Amino acid sequence: MATAAPTLSRGRSAATPVLRVGAGRWLAYAGIVIGVIFFLFPVYWMLATAVKPPNEWLTNPPVFIPSRLYFTNFTDALFFYNGVKGLVDSAIVAFSSSAIGMVIGTLAAYSIARFRTGGTNLSFFILSILFMPPVAVAIPMFLFWSNLGLVDTYIALIVQYLIFTVPFVTWLMKGFFQDVPVELEESALVNGASRLRAFWEVVLPTVRPALVATALFALIFTWNEFTFAVLLSRGRVTTLPFILPTLMESHNILWGDIAAIATIGALPVVIIAFALQRYLVRGLSFGAIKST
Amino acid sequence: MAAVVGRRRASGGGRRFALLTVAPATLLLVGISIFPLLWALRLSFMQDSLLSVATPHFIGVDNYAHLFHDPLFWSSLGVTSVFAVSVITIQLVAGLAIALALDRLPRYQQVIATILLIPSILSPSVVSFQWRQLFDYYSGPLNYFLGLLHLPLQGWTASARGALPALVLVDFWEWTPFMVLLMFAGIKSLPRSVFEAARIDGSSGWQVTIFQTIPLLRRVIAIAVILRLIGAFKIFDIIYSLTAGGPGTSTESLAFYTYVQGFRYFDLGYSTAMAFVTLILITVLARLILGFMERPIGRSVG
Repeated sequence: MATAAPTLSRGRSAATPVLRVGAGRWLAYAGIVIGVIFFLFPVYWMLATAVKPPNEWLTNPPVFIPSRLYFTNFTDALFFYNGVKGLVDSAIVAFSSSAIGMVIGTLAAYSIARFRTGGTNLSFFILSILFMPPVAVAIPMFLFWSNLGLVDTYIALIVQYLIFTVPFVTWLMKGFFQDVPVELEESALVNGASRLRAFWEVVLPTVRPALVATALFALIFTWNEFTFAVLLSRGRVTTLPFILPTLMESHNILWGDIAAIATIGALPVVIIAFALQRYLVRGLSFGAIKST
Repeated sequence: MAAVVGRRRASGGGRRFALLTVAPATLLLVGISIFPLLWALRLSFMQDSLLSVATPHFIGVDNYAHLFHDPLFWSSLGVTSVFAVSVITIQLVAGLAIALALDRLPRYQQVIATILLIPSILSPSVVSFQWRQLFDYYSGPLNYFLGLLHLPLQGWTASARGALPALVLVDFWEWTPFMVLLMFAGIKSLPRSVFEAARIDGSSGWQVTIFQTIPLLRRVIAIAVILRLIGAFKIFDIIYSLTAGGPGTSTESLAFYTYVQGFRYFDLGYSTAMAFVTLILITVLARLILGFMERPIGRSVG
């Protein structure tokens, strides 16, 4: 069953929790309410600042509810503080790296899931790359890109991001391919289809939802990526995560404008996450719960 | 199961197909991870500083030896250890508690889990910006709340004593939701029968939690601890954006000190030696945790 792990509330009926003692239930409610407030307050504060007029950015006591909606922050952020460039650069890097990662990773995942290519060593090697600290490879990669004269270019970031999109896509798709019954391809092969056609026309369509989910996760990671963006950019290629700290340094007081850019950067990710609810566990835990 | 059948099939003719499809990923990953790592290993045995006039040359283990006499290396190791132990402990406790609470909700579990997850999926630079605002001494809501409670105002990331705890708070906010997600998924994958048997025995809810649920979650807990350990050892983003290692070197972690040596002082050999020590530390610690958590006491969850 392809979606056994990611469906959070289906496995067991939501009405029969692990604990079922009356007194504890109110404690649980209180905990959840406090948790939601704590984890959402900073997000609310960013959203509120993004629509506050300038005279409410830096007050004491702070303004909790903006007196009016001041959308000029967004136009200022986009057109005076490189917001548009940041959006475009983030989109170029995220989409390219995710697309290439999807193709390369999906092929490898199919090979590993069906033919156990490379045995456990190869799949462990691919997974372990996800856990490598970026700083460990940053210096040789920086030397590599600067020898090619490619520091601060789209190509450098796009290829660099494959270091996590490819392993991530491979790992996740491997789990999904393993759930596809092998009889599907067998009948296609018996009917004279080539391996490639069987893969392309029979297997891929059955995992289409998983492909979409995996691609969206890859987009989230590349859209958000910070460390390589900082280490491999010098100001020509400026993704949103690169722009924000720069703005915080140089325009420390422009809370509203920076908040507007941060909001623009956060919005796509949050929307995608809600669209992906069903896949969240498997996608974010790299299959730690079920498929290892 | 399908994989086993697939393996038997593979001998049938898909060998070439299997190798061709796995080749691009393997070559690419060797090219952008293994090759740079080997290059870095070589570099770590060299004197290679972009600021020095001397041509790069091999100096054996001098870089590694130097690490032992570098007080900043030891203090960065200390910062990283304090940070890692603090965040892992509080995130594990809070994550488990919230996940158990979530499991008790009669409905909307999935939606609330997704809402709670928002901090973990935001870009670290968005997270840093949010907390920069909250920490602001004059206009930040945190000091405002402290003032309401008649508590002394804090400098947060700007104070030598408060900066590391402030970063722990940010990391707690950013990654506890991820912990909740893992624990919640772990709880959902537990077999019902265990709890029903316990209830028939007359165990109370808390007893079930402490003696049944948590031991059964060992494996998930081990994985969560390892993931967060790795996260804590490579912590760079919020330090870069919020404190830049300061005040002084009070928040200079291993990863950040590696960055400083490599990208500010351009001492490539020394920086890569440090990166390797970090990598070895992570690997050893992860192995220890896995070994400790997967000892065959009780049942495994998977």
